[in-house]
Amino acid sequence: MRNKRLRANALAGYLFISPWLIGFVTLTLIPILAIMVLGFTKYPILAAPKWIGLENFRYMFFGDPRFWKSVWATLYFAFASVPLKLAFALAIALMLNLKHRGTSVYRAVYYAPSIVGTSVAVAVMWREIFDSKGLVNGLLHVFGIPSQVAWLGNPHTAIWTLILLVIWQFGSPMLIFLAGLKQIPVELYESAAIDGARTWKRFTRITLPLLTPIIFFNLVLQIIFGLTVFTPAFIITSGAPLDTTNFYALYLYTRAFENFQMGYGSAMAFVLLLIISIFTAVVFKSSPYWVFYESEGPKR
Amino acid sequence: MKRYLPIIISVLLAASVPLFANGQKESGQASGQQQINLGAIWWGSQTRDERTIAAIKLYEKDHPNVHFTYQFAGWNDYWTKVTTQAAGKNLPDIMQQDYAYVTEWTHRNLLTNLDPYVSSGVIDLSHTSAPYIDGGKVDGHLYAIDLGANSQTWVLDTDAFKKAGIPIPPNDWTWNDFEKITMELHQKLGIWGMGPNLTDEQIWKSIYLGLGEWGYAKDGKSVGYSSDKPFVDFLNMALRLQKAGAIPSESNVITYLNKGPEQLPIVTGKSAMAYVWSNQIVALQTAAGADRHFTLHLLPRIAGGKSSNYIKNGQFFSVTSQSKNPKAAAEFINFITNSVDANKILLAERGVPISTIVQDALKPLLSPADAAQFNFVGLVATAGNSSPTPPPDPTGAANVIQNVYQPQVIQPVMFGNITPEQGAALLRSKADAILSGKQQ
Repeated sequence: MRNKRLRANALAGYLFISPWLIGFVTLTLIPILAIMVLGFTKYPILAAPKWIGLENFRYMFFGDPRFWKSVWATLYFAFASVPLKLAFALAIALMLNLKHRGTSVYRAVYYAPSIVGTSVAVAVMWREIFDSKGLVNGLLHVFGIPSQVAWLGNPHTAIWTLILLVIWQFGSPMLIFLAGLKQIPVELYESAAIDGARTWKRFTRITLPLLTPIIFFNLVLQIIFGLTVFTPAFIITSGAPLDTTNFYALYLYTRAFENFQMGYGSAMAFVLLLIISIFTAVVFKSSPYWVFYESEGPKR
Repeated sequence: MKRYLPIIISVLLAASVPLFANGQKESGQASGQQQINLGAIWWGSQTRDERTIAAIKLYEKDHPNVHFTYQFAGWNDYWTKVTTQAAGKNLPDIMQQDYAYVTEWTHRNLLTNLDPYVSSGVIDLSHTSAPYIDGGKVDGHLYAIDLGANSQTWVLDTDAFKKAGIPIPPNDWTWNDFEKITMELHQKLGIWGMGPNLTDEQIWKSIYLGLGEWGYAKDGKSVGYSSDKPFVDFLNMALRLQKAGAIPSESNVITYLNKGPEQLPIVTGKSAMAYVWSNQIVALQTAAGADRHFTLHLLPRIAGGKSSNYIKNGQFFSVTSQSKNPKAAAEFINFITNSVDANKILLAERGVPISTIVQDALKPLLSPADAAQFNFVGLVATAGNSSPTPPPDPTGAANVIQNVYQPQVIQPVMFGNITPEQGAALLRSKADAILSGKQQ
C-alpha cells in the first residue's frame, strides 16, 4: 500500500516536470547527441552530411591557428573576468547588507545593469563609449589627458573593454551573495564582537567561511558563463583586433552559421562541452578543501 | 508503472496539441479558390524594406488573387536564415540572391532555371542589354534577375580637393597617383586623405582585375593571380600611408569594420576620400548633408594596367526550386524589372535598374546623389573604363575572407606583426587549400 502511494507520488512528480523534460530532451539532449555525430562529418547545411572521421578534430588541433587563438582569448577572458566580477559582486553585496535607509532602492539600481547588460542595445552603447571619439576619450580629455586610443581596435585594450562590460553586470551573483549574507546567524557576529574581533577579522573568520557554499555556486555559474561568452564580442568587436576577442562561442558561430561548416562547428561545440565539463569538475573536486557547510560542524 | 503509461502518454499528447492545431490552420488557409500565396525574402536597410513592401502592395492591388508574405533581415542574418530554410525545405518562392552565392545555390539545385520564362515572355528582357543579364547566368543558364547595377567607386570630397588645391585626378589614375594625392591631402588639410577601408577584400580582387586576372581562379579552386607582387606593393603603400598618418591606423580601421557608409569619416569631413559601392553614395550623401559635394571616381589602377572597375550585378531576385508557383513568382520578378510604377517606388535603391525604359523614366525624378550614381554606372559601362565582369565568388570565398584575409593577413600586416610578403604568401597558400576543398 505504502509502496503504491510512493509510486503515485513519483509519477505525479514526473508529470509536473514533464514540460521541462520535453524541453530538455528536444532542445538540449537531442542536439547534444546530434553534434556528437555531426562533429565527424562535413556538413555544409545545403547538402547532406558526409562522414569524414576525425578530420574536423585533426584540423582543429593541428591546422587551425584561429582555433587556438579563440581558446586563449576565452580562457584569458574567463580568468580575468570571473574573479573580478565575483569580488565586485561580493563587495557591493556587503555594502547593501548594511542597514541603511533606502537599501532596497540601491539593490534595484545595482541590479539594473544585469537586466539590460546582456542586451544588444548596451553592447552598441559600449561600442560608442570606447570609440576613438567616444565617452572615455572625452572624459580623459576633460582631465587633461588627450587620448586618441581606439580602445576597441587596439589589441592590448579591446578584450578589457569586454571584461569591463561583464564585470558591470554583477547583479545576479550580487543578489545570491546578499541572500547568503542574510543566512549567516547574527549571534556569531555578536559573540565575536564580545570577544573583541574587529571588522576585518569578522569578515575573514565568519563571513567568508560561511559564504563559501555561495561562492562555490557563483563560481561554477560564472565559469560556465565566462567560457560561453558570445554577445559582447559578436556585437562590439566581431573578434577583432588580431583575434584577441574572437571568443570560442563566437568563432564556433562564425564557422557554423556564417561559413556554413556545421560539421566543424559541431566538433567545436563538442570540444567546448568537454572544456566546460573539465573546469566544472575541477571546481567540484576542489570543493571539499575550501567549501565549508555550517552543518558539518567544526573541522579538527 | 504500466497502468499509468496511458495517462503519461495522454498528458504528453495533450501538451503537444497546440503545435498540431497550429500546423493545420496554416495549411487550411492555403486552399482558397485560385488564391496564390507567394513568399519573398530579401536583405537590406530600413529604406529598402519600406520601398520593397510598398512595391509589393502595389502588385497585390493589381493582382487581387496574389497574396504575399514577406521577410527581411540584415546581410549576415539573411544568409543564416535562408540556409536554414533551405535545409528545412521551406524557402519562400522569391529570394534575393547575391553574386557571391548564386553559383553555390544553383549547384545545390535550390534555384529555378528562368530561361523558359524568358523565352515564353513571362519575364521581358527586351529592353535590357547583355552585361546586365549575364551576371545572373550560371553555366550558361539564367537563374537570377538583376535588381540594379553597381560598381565600386572612389568618393572624392571635391570641396576638400579644392581647399588643398589639388586637381581631380584623371579617370586612369594609378595607385602611385593615389598615394601622392593622399599624402598631399593629409599634409595640407591635416585630415585623413583616405578613409578606413583601403584594405577591403574587394580591392585586393580588383587590383588583379586591372591586370586581366582576378582574386579567384576561373574554376574557383585557387587564387586567380600569378604573382603576389602587385598585392605586396599595395600593402607596402598602405603601410607607408598608415605610418604618415594619411590613413586611419589599423586599430582605428577595425572600429569601422561593422559600420555602414553613413558612419565613414568622409561624412564628417575627417577624410577626403572613401571607397564604397556606387549605390551607397545615396546613404553617404544623405548622412553628410546636401551642402557637401562629392565626385564618384573610378578605382585607381596598376601602372600600365587596365581599369579595375567592373559592372557588378548588384543584387538579384531568384525563384527558388522549392516554390509551388514558379510562374507567378516569375511574373512578379517581371513586374519589379519592367514596371515604371514599381521602380518609381523603389527608386534605384538597389542600384541602377536594368531596363532602359525604366532608367529613362526615373531620370527626371532623381536626387543629385541618385543621378551621380546613374551617371557613374553609365561612365563605367563605356569602353576603356571597365574590365569584363569577373565570375561570381567561388564556394569557400566567404571562408577565405573571414578566416584568412582579415584576421590572418590584413590585421597582422597592418599591425606590423608580419611583412607584406609573408601576408601575401600566407593568403595564397591558405586560400588555395580552402578553395580546392583540401581544408576546412
